[in-house]
Amino acid sequence: MDNLSSNLEPKLDTKSAIMDQIRQEAAMTNARQLIEKVNEHCFEKCVPKPGSSLSSSETTCFTSCMEKYMATWNTVSRQYINRIQKEQGNSAASSVF
Amino acid sequence: MDYTNSAPAGLDLSKLSEKDKHELQQFVINEAQKTRIQQTVHTLTDTCWKKCVTGTIRNGKLDRNEETCAQNCVDRFLDANITVIKHLESMRN
Repeated sequence: MDNLSSNLEPKLDTKSAIMDQIRQEAAMTNARQLIEKVNEHCFEKCVPKPGSSLSSSETTCFTSCMEKYMATWNTVSRQYINRIQKEQGNSAASSVF
Repeated sequence: MDYTNSAPAGLDLSKLSEKDKHELQQFVINEAQKTRIQQTVHTLTDTCWKKCVTGTIRNGKLDRNEETCAQNCVDRFLDANITVIKHLESMRN
């Protein structure tokens, strides 16, 4: 019923609109940062000597590199979150994190 | 990012109920923490990529050595962080 009535209501309620915008901006910032880093590191790896155009092997390298960077990101993220949880379990007094 | 545009048009905060305000406040705190953690993950990935992915890129998978290296990299970086802070604290005395 709630969904039905909010569908009929043309304007989204203020609270949800703000939350949506915050979520969207956070996701954008995160994505932009990832793209920036992928570009930086993979350019370093895949284009040691820039030619007159991006060759097909360089493009292939970029694809692999991008996947690899994201895999690294996920591994690092998992490890970091595990660590935070462990530290919080060990001592609530630790203010490092 | 366009921060001048950060207040959604047509949204009147003063019309929010106290309950909604509280909920929003908590939401913002949570999102800020999530962003901080993500930020650290970006920095750590940057550092650990440089340390652990040293060869040429052959495929998109992270091999065993690289994965173990990345995991150790995160833990040792944080150990180092704690060591620095502890040493600084001891210097204060």
